[in-house]
Order: sequence, then C-alpha cells, then structure tokens
Amino acid sequence: MTTTTTTVAKPTKPAKARRRKGHDHDRTFGDILFAMANYSLFALLVVICAYPFYYLIINSVSANDISALGDVRLFPQGFHLSNYEQVFQLQGLPMAAAVSVGRTVIGTLLTVLASAFLGFMFTQQRMWGRKFWYRFLIITMYFSAGLIPIFIIMKNLGLTNTFWVYILPFIVQPFFVILVKTYVESMPASLQEAAEVDGASLLQVFFKIYLPNMTPILATVAIFSAVTQWNSFQDTLIYITDQSLYTLQYLLYMFINQASSLAQAAQNAGGNLGQIASAATTQTPTSIRMTVSVIVVLPIIFIYPLFQRFFVKGIMLGAVKG
Amino acid sequence: MKLTRTTAAFAVAAVVTAGALASCSSGGGSEETPTSATGSETGAFPTSWDEEITIDVFAGLANYMGMQQGWFAKIVKDKFNMNLNIIAPNVAGGGDTLYNTRVAAGELGDLIVTDKGQKLDELIQGGLVGDMSEYYPLMENVGQFDTAMDNLNAESGGVYAFPTSVSHLMPTDASEGLNPTFGPFIRWDYYAEQGYPSLDTLEDLLPVLKQMQEDHPTGDNGQPTYGFSLFKDWDGNMMVTAKQPACFYGYDEIGFVLAKADGSDYQSILDSDSEYVRSLRLYFDANQMGLVDPESTTQNYDTLYSKFQNGQVLFAWWPWLAQTAYNTEDNMAAGKGFEIAPVDDMEVFSYGAEAYGGKQVFAIGSKAEDPERIAAFVDWLYSPEGAYANSAQTLGSAGPQGLTWDINDAGEPELTEFGNEVFLGGGATTPEEWGGGDYLDGVSALNTISVLPIDVDPNTGFPYSYTFWPSYQEATATPLSEDWSANMGDATSTMDYLSTNDKLLVAPGASFTIPTDSSEVETLRNQIKAIVIQYSWQMVFASDEAQFESLLKELQDTANGLGYEKVLETDMANAEMQNDARVAVTAAFQ
Amino acid sequence: MTSSMILAETTAEQIEERGKKPKRGERGPGKKSFTPFFLILPFLILSFVFAYLPLFGWVYSLYDYKPALGLSGSEFVGLQWFRLLVSSPTQLAQIGQVLVNTLAISFLGIATSILPLGFAVLLNEIRAKWFKNAVQTLTTLPNFISWVLVYMIAFSLFSTSGLVNDILMDGGLITAPIKFLDTDQHVWLTMTLWSVWKGLGWGAIIYLAAISGIDPSLYESARMDGAGRWQTIRYITIPQLMPTYLVLLLLSVANILNNGMEQYYVFQNAFNQKYIQVLDLYVYNIGMTGNSLSMATAIGMLKSLISVALLLTVNWIAKRVRGESLV
Repeated sequence: MTTTTTTVAKPTKPAKARRRKGHDHDRTFGDILFAMANYSLFALLVVICAYPFYYLIINSVSANDISALGDVRLFPQGFHLSNYEQVFQLQGLPMAAAVSVGRTVIGTLLTVLASAFLGFMFTQQRMWGRKFWYRFLIITMYFSAGLIPIFIIMKNLGLTNTFWVYILPFIVQPFFVILVKTYVESMPASLQEAAEVDGASLLQVFFKIYLPNMTPILATVAIFSAVTQWNSFQDTLIYITDQSLYTLQYLLYMFINQASSLAQAAQNAGGNLGQIASAATTQTPTSIRMTVSVIVVLPIIFIYPLFQRFFVKGIMLGAVKG
Repeated sequence: MKLTRTTAAFAVAAVVTAGALASCSSGGGSEETPTSATGSETGAFPTSWDEEITIDVFAGLANYMGMQQGWFAKIVKDKFNMNLNIIAPNVAGGGDTLYNTRVAAGELGDLIVTDKGQKLDELIQGGLVGDMSEYYPLMENVGQFDTAMDNLNAESGGVYAFPTSVSHLMPTDASEGLNPTFGPFIRWDYYAEQGYPSLDTLEDLLPVLKQMQEDHPTGDNGQPTYGFSLFKDWDGNMMVTAKQPACFYGYDEIGFVLAKADGSDYQSILDSDSEYVRSLRLYFDANQMGLVDPESTTQNYDTLYSKFQNGQVLFAWWPWLAQTAYNTEDNMAAGKGFEIAPVDDMEVFSYGAEAYGGKQVFAIGSKAEDPERIAAFVDWLYSPEGAYANSAQTLGSAGPQGLTWDINDAGEPELTEFGNEVFLGGGATTPEEWGGGDYLDGVSALNTISVLPIDVDPNTGFPYSYTFWPSYQEATATPLSEDWSANMGDATSTMDYLSTNDKLLVAPGASFTIPTDSSEVETLRNQIKAIVIQYSWQMVFASDEAQFESLLKELQDTANGLGYEKVLETDMANAEMQNDARVAVTAAFQ
Repeated sequence: MTSSMILAETTAEQIEERGKKPKRGERGPGKKSFTPFFLILPFLILSFVFAYLPLFGWVYSLYDYKPALGLSGSEFVGLQWFRLLVSSPTQLAQIGQVLVNTLAISFLGIATSILPLGFAVLLNEIRAKWFKNAVQTLTTLPNFISWVLVYMIAFSLFSTSGLVNDILMDGGLITAPIKFLDTDQHVWLTMTLWSVWKGLGWGAIIYLAAISGIDPSLYESARMDGAGRWQTIRYITIPQLMPTYLVLLLLSVANILNNGMEQYYVFQNAFNQKYIQVLDLYVYNIGMTGNSLSMATAIGMLKSLISVALLLTVNWIAKRVRGESLV
C-alpha cells in the first residue's frame, strides 16, 4: 500500500532536473527568439490586466470629485485615505470578516473533498447507474428554479439564519466534479489496480492513492471555490437577517449600494423625482466602490500565490508503468 | 435606585407571565389581550417599557441597512426601549427580490413601509399585516390626521395602514418648501455677466448658454464646460433628461402621457408637437450649436454630479442637483452658483401636499410580538417631537429640540451652534449624551416622512423645517442670493418668486395611486420604453434636421408596431382618473 | 521518416496504449456494484434537495403568482406568459435581432475559448519561475473587478475625452475623438474582447493545473527522440489538454443562450443597443424579470429546458464523432 504511494511521488525531482538541463543545452537561435517573444507577450498581458487594478488603487486614494470624472490615470491626485477610513469604520466589520473567513475555509475544504470524491467515484465503471447519476448531477448546472422556491426550501429545512446556509448548498458543485473526473481519467488506471491487488478498499484507494496525487486539480478547485465563497453576498441578502452572520462582502455590498441605490430609486419612482430629490444630495461617490473593490481583492492576491506551488507537483505516470 | 430596579424586575416578571398566559389562553385572534403591565385600559400607551426588544423594520425607502444608529436610535431606545433593525430593499438591490422572498415566507417585518394600492392590498389579503383597531383609539397623534386615515383604510374596514407625508396643508399648497423639485437652473454669475438677457421661452436659453460657454470654455478644474450635460442611468419610461423641461411647463408623466397639473392638457409623448419631443429638439439644436457634452451618451449620474461640482455644466433641471453640488458656501460667497432663470412663460410643476398621504404607508406586521409598542412608536412619529426627529433626513426638518435647535429669546426657533455646524458646515459629531457618532449617521433610517416638514409645529408656530425660520434665512444670505433676489423683484426664495409671479402650477395632492397594469399592458410598455429611450438619444445626437425627423418617424412607427396605442389608452384613462381625483380633493377641502 | 512523424507515432502509441488499459474500477465486464453508489448517495441527496426539489416552483409559470397570496390565492393563467413572449410581429422581429446578438456573442466566446488554453501552454514555456508566478497572479486580477467598475475604467480610458482619445489627438493621429463606447460598429467584437480580457488569466488556471498533471515521462521520451519545443507542444501538451478543453467546450455550447447580463447592461447605450442586446439583457430591459415573478419563471424555465436539450444533443454528437460521450 504505502510502497505504491512512494514510488509514485519520488522520481519527480531528478526527472525535472534532467529535463531542464536538456533544454539549456539545446538552445538555438529560434529558442531565444521564441523566449523573447513569449516574455514580451506576457509582460504586455500583465500590463493590460494589472493596470485596471492599479487604476482602482490610485483612484481610491485620490480626491473623490477628480476621480469621478475619470481623470486620475497614472498617479493619485489629491491624495487622501478617508475612503479607507470610512470603510474600516463600518460597524461589525471584524465579525463579518470572521464569518467570511469561516465560510471560505470550511466551505472550500468541504467542496474540495466532495469534488475530489465524486470526481473519483464517477470514474468507477462498476458503479450502479454511473452514467445516469453523473448526468443527474451535471444538468443541475443548467437549470435554476428561481429564488422563491429555493428560499422556501431553505426555510423549511431550517437553514435560514444559520451558518450552514453558506456551506451546504455549495458542497456539491457539478463543474468541479467534471474537472476532477477529467483529471482522474488522465491518471493511469493501473494505480487503482495495483492497490486493489494489494487488497485496498475503494475508500482506501481514494484516500491513499488518488487524493494525494491530484493536488493540481484540487488546488484549482480550491481557488475557484474559495473565491466564490469569499465573494458571495446574495445568500446573505436572501437568507440572513441575523447581523452576527453577515459576511464581509455583504457588509461592503450594502455600503456600496447606499450609493447606487439612487439610480434604482430614480427608476422605481416612475418619474416622480420629488421622491428622490433629497436622497440625491447624500450619495456616496464612486471612489468608495473602488476602495471596497481593492479591499476585497487584496487578500485574494496575497493568498493566491500560496496555491500556486501545488501546480508544479505532477505525478509520474511512467513510474508505475513498469 | 434600588427600589426602582426591583419594581422594574417585578414589572418584567408580570409582563412575562401575562405574555405566557396570553399565549396559552387566547389561541390567536382574541380581541382583548390581557396586557396587565400596560395601560390600555387607561386610554393611553404606557410611558415606559421594561423589556428591551429589537424589531425588524422593512423600510421600502431606506438607504441604510442594519441597526438604526446614533441620536435617533437613542431617542427610540429611551422612549420605547426598542431597537430598529432596518431592512432596506433599496440597499439590498435586486429589485423586488427581498420583498418577494420575505413575503413568500409569510413574514415581511414587524414594522413595514410599503406602497399603498396593490402591494398593501395583497399584504392585507395575505394576512401579513395586522389590524390595529385595538390600539387606534390610543393613537392620538395619528388621530389628528383622521381624514387621511379614514381614506386610507376605507376599503379594508380595519386599521391596517398609516399614511405618510401628512400635513395640515391644503392639497393645493405646494409640498416642496423653498425650492421646487424642477426648474431651469443656470449659472447665475455667468448669466449676470451677459447682462441678464430676457428669456421669453425656454429655447431662448440656447444663445445665452452659447455665449456663456464661449466666455467660459473651462470649468474650475480646467476641463471643458458645456451648456447641457446629460446622463443615461436613470432612464425609465423615457429619457429622463428630456422629460424635465416638460415639468417647467406644468406637465408630469403618467406612463407615456404628459398630463398638465391643472387637467387642461394631456399629451402622448410621441406626438410630434409634444413637450417631450420639444425637449428632444431643444437638445438637438443645442448639440448642433456645440452645447451638449459629448460624454452625455455614456456617462452616469455620478460623473455628471462631479462635473457640476467642478463647474463644468451651465444648466440644470433640478435645484437639488445643481445647488447641492455647486452652491457651496465658498462659491456663493464669491457670488458663484446656480439660481433659477426667469423664463417668461414657464409654469413650474409642483407636487401639492398629499391630502390623504403619500405613496407609502406604515403598517405593522401580523406576526409582530409586541404590536402595542410598535403602534405607540408609529403614533409618536406623528407627534411634533417625532416630526422633528423622523423627517430629518429627507426634507430637512430640524432634528431634536435641544440638540440642533431651540427656542431663542424672541420665542422663535433657532438653530443652535451645533445645528449650524450640522446644516451649514456639513456635519458634526453628536455629543455622547445624545448617542454620539456623526449627526448624519444618526438620522432616522426609515427615510419616510410622517409629517411634512413644511407643516407648522403648533408649539412654535413655525414649520418643522429650519429653512423657513427667519433666523436661518438671515444667516444664509450671500452675495449670490442677494444679486438673484435683487433681479427677481426681491423674492425671498425660488418658491416665493414662482408663486408671486404666477409661474407655479401645483398639482393638487389627491394621493392618487396609479392602478397596476394588466400583465399584457405591462409587457408591452416595457418593450416600448426601451425603444423610446434608444431613439430619443439618437434624435438628440442626430447629424441634421432630416435625420432627426426620420428618427422620430421611425420611433413612432416602431412604437405603434409594438402596441403603443393600447398602452397609451391605459395611460390616458389613468391620467383622467388622476385628474378627477385632483378635482375631487380640491373640492373636498374647500 | 522525419523526427516529428516518429514522435507523433510514438506518442500516439503511448497514449493509445493507456487508453486500452482496463478501465478503472472494472471488476469483470458488466458487473455493477452498489457500494460506490451508496458512497455518493449523500451527495446526490444534497443535489436533489438544493437543485431538483425547488423545481416545484416552475408551476408558478402557469399562474399569476403573487407571493403575498400564495399559490392557492393566485390566479391560474395557463400558458399566457409563454404566449406573451411571441405576441406581436414587431416583437418577433426584436427577438430575432436579440437572438442574433446572443448567438453571435456566444460563438465569438466559444471561438475565443481556446485562448486560455494557449495562454497556459505558452506560460508553461516560461522558464523564470518568479515571472511565471507573477504573470499567473496578475492576469487573474480583471476577474475580480465588477463590471460596474470595469465600465468606470472603460469610461475613463475610452470616452471622447478619455485617455486613449487624448493620446491619439495629441499625437495628431486623429482630429476628432473616436467614439469607442457609443458606436454601433464592432459591438460584438469589443464585447468579446472585454470578456476575454476579464476571463483569460482566470480561465487558464484549469489548464495550468492540467499541464502540471501531464506525465513528464512523455516529454522525456519525446526529447530522446529529438523532439523540439514545438513538437512537444503539438504532440504532447495540447493533446493532453484536449479532454479538458472539449468538456469545457461542450459545457459552453449548452450555455449559448446565457451570456449573463451585467456586462452588456453597463456598456449599453442608445447607440450600441441594437447589437448589444443579448437575451439576458433584453429580458431585463423589458422588465420581464422585475415585475412579474411568473413571467420570469416562464423565461427561466424555457432557458433551462433549452440548455439541457442542447447539452444532451451536443453530447450525443460527441458520442457519434469521438465514440465517447463527454458527460
């Protein structure tokens, strides 16, 4: 049992070293040219993708009226931090942050485990009704019953105003199951056979052989799921009234909406602008939105690199082949 | 001290027991709830409440979600031992999502602010709001407005809802205060430079604005100025900015109809000679003259507001946009700012004081645990004290006495130093004994007016709104307002100018609710309005007269193809019903 | 025989060889086991409760559903909502244009779905690890910026007095500002570019993971055979990514009617409306979702059914063509 696992993981390093060496040796003029082009391409992409975020940062610390005109493009103008101060003074921020971290960690963990397990199980040809159940799961991606019936279900299950409403509906994610299943299918079936010959049960095969060897895809699932959990606020809006269960995103969303609700109100008023005249004088500027966006995204960019190291540990199919 | 505490403990025990007994014995729907600790029998609400409670307030107009903060929270806590947890669908977003899900679950809130008409009727029918007949006799403050109460509850036969925006004004009196909702506001200082040219009608503004723009090509921030700057994100039934000039001539929209406030005219917006098309033509001409900001098509209200702040726009449809953004203390002291232009033939539309209350109502949830206390709270909102405190956010009533204002030696109300800081200096920190925090964060999050701030406080003889107080008006005279006033026949305010010169058309406040569309009409309407908005914009930015006309023709044809006639028929009928109601209410209050 | 042909053959053999191996968890042909089913049963139940059970709500589409009155208090209207969708000729013409927009933007989306794969493959060729990681992190940033803010940025850069026009004017390249945002030219293309920009780095994550799952020995032996960079990419990396790509492709084909609406909502204006109005936006613009719950349900239900039908059709085609179904 254990021997199988170790043989799978071990040869990774020397192989990689050899591979790198080989490359350096063969460097041709074309290779260098390609590398240069490639680096330039990605440098350009980085600029295109990172600039807007940079734009948000400089605008969030610039004078709000200049920022709303869209005139802050390279450097902050009229530097101030009051937008950040305003956000950090929001009532209940620490608690909301704790709830958000809680749902992200617990939710992600469960989603990853469930996706890994289901993805693996659906490769088991001998499962009764495999294809049917797989499709049963997959097509749920394509339909939605609408909010009210889902709300009624949640209420009847007693999930409204509980932490579990953040977790349970997210556990089974068909898309992640597909990703994992596709990944497992690219792994050699002989892994499982070898283990089963050694007398391992299905669960042992999963936990001891497959789970440790699918880190790249699980890292992907984890990133996707964590970001979904971290960013979601709709569920709080609908299912939660207890303020101790508010999430960070929801708190910020409400804060932002105090600004944008103006346009909403204008349309609701059906032309009767008298109703909104007064609200129009106390709106929150766009730069608050930008501030909030920066605050929400920053943790993600700091944590994301931690996941990246899981991407380089591949398994060696060759190792078990012989 | 010790004694009171024991008494309190006793009282709590009594309430709890009574409550327990009540829930055992009554089994629902009982007429006489045995509330021994309260004073129902004595004909008044109790003056203190022992058990602290938190109620969910579904506030249809609120712009804040969460627990009520600051000084308003403190007052409510002190008086009713109650915290308000505000649930604000506007803040939550997603249209009616929050409303629908909560209603589907059978529990909207303990206190509800919603629209009268169909929404309220359904809530009553569905049993989501409670009948307060039991407590109504105790509600002395609401009782003053019994005409509105009776009208509102006539159909249901109980006491299910309480009217908002009530007052002792006549329905033919303007409800707005010192400034109308609409009006052609221009940069007065630039207009003065041109030598106050006379303006027979709205179109005469174009050459004036042209000259103003040429003389001042850039705003305070060095960016280009424009006569008109439009924006897109409020468009509803039609292009919002194109409807406003119609309001300068006494019209307001009801669906696709522009109805004149005095009932003398109804126009289909798509008629080639309607006020709506006139506005489109005005903007089209302005655009040909280079007066329209080219960013109009893509910008949102936020950006526009900043342009006003930076002096990049010369004309505005609303005082609450232009003056709030640009008439800062510094600008006005320097003689700069927006004031209404003396357009000779205008008849500015004004909303009359709603005789039977505004569009919203207060209602108390049928599942509220302590309806008596909520009823007492609602009643308090209509007392002078409640009126000062509750209407503070929207139309500027003065806030709590002793904090922001007080009676001065002459016996007149006057803003305190703190009040001056709040209303003129842009905010101040509330003293701890009043709950602390920023004053503005502490205003009532209900954002629903119980008594109109323009109504007169019987105790002082002056309106609840400080802007009417002589002391305030003296304090806020500036070179700008003085120059304007001098040229407008010494008018003391925009409203004063409009009414003295017969340029104001008040639509009697009949509290008319537009009937809900049939689903067919609603679907048609929604499709047509998207087309109307799209073509309107294209017409404003048409390259020449011929294109303008052909786009108009195309718009009319497309709209007709989508069933415009049918929707118009409904709107015309509604407009006439609205007018009948206005006539009736005027007669009833004469 | 050129080296690339040899390589192609050997790799193909290797891959095929693995394909022929007995399938996972197959204990003798045709023998089905209940154990794996029971193991996943709890998850199936979760899926049933949260996805299937609420479908009872579809019945609202036959009523004029009013939440306050409940289903019993609401009026039964039969197929009225479905008929309203197709009630007038002008409306049909409108829906025609809307569908064209929807399909055009979806197909452009599908056509560009190869880009994240290309991104991952090329990034994999980057040797400097710090650079690779930095690129990977920074290119995901657009994914986190809401469309509302994307529009604010777009406005700042591309409006008539925006940065791009300023630069072009200063450089003397143009005399009048270009209307990037309010034009009816190239709307489908620009919308696709925005979504590519937003999703490229994020979408590549899946492929980066798949690449790190590729058996290095494949590269080993290819190199032994003298394969160059392009050959390894072409004969190993890309074929190994294909299963993932095809599955994602299949999933997106089933989604062609669902473009979402936020992006198009923030970018729409009177001048690009004709081409930007995709189904989701149209439904939103004409207030179908806002005012009548039943109408919204009817539309949601139709879209759901079409999506599922598309999924099954594409899957069936895949089965005919590849001999193996994808789901």
